Amino acid sequence: MSSTFDARKTKALAMGGPEKLARRKAAGVLNARERVEKLLDPGSFIESGLFGASLADPDKSAADGKIAGFGRIDGRECAVVANDFTVMGASSAGTNGRKIGHMKRVATSRGLPMVFLGESSGARMPDHMGARGMATLLGNDGTQYIRMRETPWASATLGLSYGSSSWYSVLSDFNVVRKGAVLAVSSAQLASLAIKENVDPEEMGGWQVHAEVTGFADAVAETDEEALELIRTFLSYLPSHHNQAPPERPVPAGSGAQMADIAKLLPEKRTQVYDVRRIVRAIVDEGSFFEVKARFGKVLTTGLARLGGRTVGILANNPLFRGGAMDTDACEKGASFLVLCDSFNIPVVLLVDTPGFSIGIEAERKRAPGKIMNFMQALQLCTVPKLSVILRKTYGQAYLNMGGGRNSDEVAAWPTAEVSFMDPTFAVKIVHGLEPGQPGFDGAFAEMSRDSEPWDAAAVFAVQSIVQPHETRDYLIRMLEVHRQRLSGGIGQHLMRAWPTSF
Amino acid sequence: MAAIQVKAEVAGSVWQITTKVGQTVEAGDTLMIIESMKMEIPVITEHGGTIDKFMVDEKAAISEGQVVAVLSR
Repeated sequence: MSSTFDARKTKALAMGGPEKLARRKAAGVLNARERVEKLLDPGSFIESGLFGASLADPDKSAADGKIAGFGRIDGRECAVVANDFTVMGASSAGTNGRKIGHMKRVATSRGLPMVFLGESSGARMPDHMGARGMATLLGNDGTQYIRMRETPWASATLGLSYGSSSWYSVLSDFNVVRKGAVLAVSSAQLASLAIKENVDPEEMGGWQVHAEVTGFADAVAETDEEALELIRTFLSYLPSHHNQAPPERPVPAGSGAQMADIAKLLPEKRTQVYDVRRIVRAIVDEGSFFEVKARFGKVLTTGLARLGGRTVGILANNPLFRGGAMDTDACEKGASFLVLCDSFNIPVVLLVDTPGFSIGIEAERKRAPGKIMNFMQALQLCTVPKLSVILRKTYGQAYLNMGGGRNSDEVAAWPTAEVSFMDPTFAVKIVHGLEPGQPGFDGAFAEMSRDSEPWDAAAVFAVQSIVQPHETRDYLIRMLEVHRQRLSGGIGQHLMRAWPTSF
Repeated sequence: MAAIQVKAEVAGSVWQITTKVGQTVEAGDTLMIIESMKMEIPVITEHGGTIDKFMVDEKAAISEGQVVAVLSR
């Protein structure tokens, strides 16, 4: 009996066989079991479904191509599904579908983060073909693609990833795409057949497309190992489930050391731009800024960080790109990040310096009003603490979207802040029809400009505090303490838990 | 020698070309500054290389996505 067990176990662990595994190794790509091992704390993996297989071809379907189980990341339990491309292209089929369903159910009901390691050719053929295939293999779980954000989901796209492998990546709260991998609805080959033209896989769904155009890549990795480390880092900021506050970490030495000189990071000349990420890094705990979607909607920087050892979500206008004017990508990025923060009890810090939203024909065609309101609604539905700091410009509707007025629990402004409805030069043109240099322009400009300093906003208590730049870190840590959600044990209402996972 | 096109991210006018043809630049360096929305917005190269040519002159009006310089590496 023992020899049967050993033989079956050895065969299951051998995955798609030595030749396929050797080819991957030669290509510098980890196999599914190596990925699971690298992802999890050493020795913590307990597998579920090792002896799963396709009854149609049990000899060639080790673990039915998807490895599932539980393990620990930084000592915390999580559930994991890793596609094994060496076994039937990790194609989706009956048994492995049940394995994924089990992992998701356990993760959701027991409060464990869920990790998907994506690399799959899509639905298994010919199993899915015909009415019988469709009827028996698809649609058996009416909750399969529901995301209620009970627990965090993280994903890595680590190879050719089609069908449900892609679905789980875009349903996740965080997805890292490894360079060379492809995330798409279906293969380039099938796409070529369908549209009768050659489709390049990377051009269709490579890392650059998802990092810069679709925003489906929250991060990009050079290697499998880096991608797995990024998942571990992402999860370190999050609670295991939505009824828990995020974990706290000791404050690293050197945190706040740059605060004395932070004002130097903001150019004196109001027309000059700067990279707000340098200001973010100076304010938050040393080394804790974890940017997400760095190459998408770059005018708005989003990322997780810690302040005084506690997780915060940072939304910061970045004037380095387009002067910080927010486009539709930035609106989607902002909304999606707010959903993440609110769903997992992460307070939000907004750093504001924006001339407003990008306007014009292109913006309207990209449905700017709808995107601006989605973003705005997300902010108003947030029930986690929101603190905003106006560094420099805040104009028009963008003032509200970035937490102005009662859209934050506390609004602070640096003395350099400018609060107004629009740039005074444009206001003079719109109201008086005057251009710079024309008679009367200077007087009209002075009239429009006079009230944009933050003192009047503070006088009517729309701005609660004017803080010096070097006081910002201490101010935020103190205010986060004040606004701790004591009545609910740090837990928000999660009003956006069923919002789309991409916009 | 791969040619690298550097594009403007935003429409505006070229205020100042801050580099020279033949100059070696690193990823993240500013090649020129565009004036747009009353701001001075740098055109930053994502790749290092040698500047082969500029496709625009100072004061030129440019559109979003326009190639403003070509590098080789």
